[in-house]
Amino acid sequence: MITFLAKRTATLVAAVLLSSFAVFLIPYVTPGDPVRKIIRSRVAGDIVDDSTVQALSESLGLQDPLPVQYLRWLGDFFTGDMGLSHISRTPVVDQVMPALGITLSLVLVALGIAVVVSLPLGTVAALRQGGKADKLITTVTQSFIAMPEYWLAPLLVLVFALKLSLLPSAGWNTPSSIVLPALTLALRPISFFTSAVRAGMIDALEAEHIQAARARGLGRGQTVWRHVVPNGLVPLSTLFAVWFAGLLGGSVIVEVIFAIPGMGRLLYDAVVNSDIPLAQGGVVVVVALAVAITTLADFLHRILSPKVSGSLA
Amino acid sequence: MPELVIKDLTVRNTAAQREVLAGVSLSVQQGEFVALVGGSGSGKTMTAKSILRILPEQLQIASGSIRLGSVDVTSAPEAELNRIRGGRLGMLFQQPKRMFNPNRTIGKHLKEPLNLHGGLRGRAADAKVYELLADVGFEDPAWGARAYPHQLSGGMAQRAMTAMALAGQPEFLLADEPTSALDKVLEQQILELLDRQRIQRGLGILYITHNLASVAAFADRVLVMEAGVIVEAGTTEAVLGTPRTECTRRLLEASNLAPTRTTEAPTSERNVLTLTNVVKHFGSGKRWGRGSGNRPALDSISLAVKQGEILGVLGQSGSGKSTLARAIVGLEGISSGSIDRTLAAGATSPHTAVQLVFQEPHDSFDPRMTLRASLEAPLRARKGLSPADRSRRLNEAMLEVELDPDLLDRRPSQCSGGQLQRATIARALLMEPEVLICDEATSALDALTQRTVLDLLQRLHRERGMTLVVITHDMDVVRHMCQRVAVLFQGRLVELTDTPGFFADPQHQHSKDLVSAAIPCRGLHLKKMRALP
Repeated sequence: MITFLAKRTATLVAAVLLSSFAVFLIPYVTPGDPVRKIIRSRVAGDIVDDSTVQALSESLGLQDPLPVQYLRWLGDFFTGDMGLSHISRTPVVDQVMPALGITLSLVLVALGIAVVVSLPLGTVAALRQGGKADKLITTVTQSFIAMPEYWLAPLLVLVFALKLSLLPSAGWNTPSSIVLPALTLALRPISFFTSAVRAGMIDALEAEHIQAARARGLGRGQTVWRHVVPNGLVPLSTLFAVWFAGLLGGSVIVEVIFAIPGMGRLLYDAVVNSDIPLAQGGVVVVVALAVAITTLADFLHRILSPKVSGSLA
Repeated sequence: MPELVIKDLTVRNTAAQREVLAGVSLSVQQGEFVALVGGSGSGKTMTAKSILRILPEQLQIASGSIRLGSVDVTSAPEAELNRIRGGRLGMLFQQPKRMFNPNRTIGKHLKEPLNLHGGLRGRAADAKVYELLADVGFEDPAWGARAYPHQLSGGMAQRAMTAMALAGQPEFLLADEPTSALDKVLEQQILELLDRQRIQRGLGILYITHNLASVAAFADRVLVMEAGVIVEAGTTEAVLGTPRTECTRRLLEASNLAPTRTTEAPTSERNVLTLTNVVKHFGSGKRWGRGSGNRPALDSISLAVKQGEILGVLGQSGSGKSTLARAIVGLEGISSGSIDRTLAAGATSPHTAVQLVFQEPHDSFDPRMTLRASLEAPLRARKGLSPADRSRRLNEAMLEVELDPDLLDRRPSQCSGGQLQRATIARALLMEPEVLICDEATSALDALTQRTVLDLLQRLHRERGMTLVVITHDMDVVRHMCQRVAVLFQGRLVELTDTPGFFADPQHQHSKDLVSAAIPCRGLHLKKMRALP
């Protein structure tokens, strides 16, 4: 386990370094003078004359070899200095962090809804395998896969905001603002989680140790609660992490539709406006978080399912 | 004193509309060791499951009664049944490792019956767990309680299962083939453990098995079951001494594999396989700060397999037998040493000349593929075979292993263990191998099926001159068909000799243990082990 921890942490760091290096290179591989682009992200105010550019280029170390520049950039980055946005001329970090907070809460609420809905649905479907309840649950949740966000979001707005006037149609002002976007975002995870819970529970129910549990006097309910549900949920932990990591940058459609100033929206704007420092900051933060989450899920999986750590250590 | 009495029990399969048990009657007194024997599918296990009322859904008790003292189990309410299960009736299962929840420690498993039937919690439960584990032979009960099921060997898992079955202080124990996956030494230890409970606290034991040797050594009475009916019953001496039915005679014969004369010494002196100083290390072996240390799985093994011989490889679980098999076919890389193949001139590809037959027939097939798809897969990899050629070869291979080619279109779940193990052999034969390595190929099968598969292997050896490496823990199999024996102990080859010499005069201490633990049948050692300390 210790070896595994060390190995996975090393992989995590390597993945973050590799992707951040690619991100660091953006000013160099995009059209235009990299030196001017970088200066624009480090110094407030507009600089036009070549002599100032030359002086700044030297004082900022832009003549140094790329690896040295990269390390300096990385050091600044992780101490909170992500540079200045080319558009708003304010520090990137002040835009990235609030956006990250918004997206995290949106994604967590959406996935929370998905888990809360899919756990009972998947469990019931598994316990009634092949029955009417199973067929209904499976058909309905599977149909969610085919409902795109850009179709569902306007539909929800139409019903809950315009017709019923229960919830705000867009923006991020009141706590209730989160409901419609989170519901929209939750729909597809509900579909995947339900089928994962169902499959996991069926496997757990059919395991031979279940009858051994019954044979030592555990009632039906106790057996399901102690031996079926925990074992059936192991696959869900991995799936949850994959969706969590994916939605961090993948909530863009929902954020644009509902005008939410989140991470997806920020990245979208940064790319549309060629705001290189903003895009750099957003991408590295999302990548680092996504890699960290999947690694955490791996650890969790090994704790939940000790046999895995036995076979892969 | 309470008594377990079954009268005229009939169990119906409501889906298939047929009777699984027809009028079964038996009784077990406290302090009695009763054996229920029969081939696979005879209804032994279903009898035990009926007693605990844990039958699969499609099986229902149609008539008859099961009385435990004054309680009628067939009509008892669920709450009463849950007090009986594990509380008054303990049960041991055949595959101990699969009977534990892989995500929970042994200690947590043991606490369930302690809590349910003894009301023990917290410290008191912990103390009792250690006590129970120590009783069944765990040298380090604290480690045993912390261990996960996959960290235990088969023998230890069965001991832990025994501890769990005894945790509720049951009056009766239903032991369903508890030792059929274990080697003879472990089998004897487990049965002695149960018998000690019988003597000390009057545990009544219903021992379900197909292994008559152990029955001869331990049981007071024997019931023989065939097709859901008890066909013979009586004292052990009477039933095994003078069997009255064909079924009993067949079981006896199957349990008593006599040495055969058909396996003559090989005529060729060519060594098909030559292993020189083969060493295999597995990682560091350490996890959570403890582990098996750095003992290699295979420790400089040198061994030559002669063309056309049947070599038996004996060893307990964990001795490196399977690693050796996997190393020979190349499924496992070796750390140092060499494994050379010397093939006959004009032989097929050297890559397929050595084929492996695995222990668990159900695990050696993809459950989603038909047998045809599974068997055809390796043939597809060969060039120059038309679909008609492949189909013809498949049919030939099936006939060679005495299977109906119609079975090709079934899935593994629709076949019996014996049929699948034959299909595994057919799959190996399709590669036209020179050497067939059988890794415990018959130990998951019941005695009668085991016998027919061994006969098949011997016929292949006789007719095709196939070289067989038979890896097993079963002394009877070795005695029955092997010309030479290699004994593995803790990864080392400790003895290599001809079979008669091995049984007459084993050299290494471990070989001596193995030979002395092999209980011959036919009542020779009948009741020898009754007098326990």
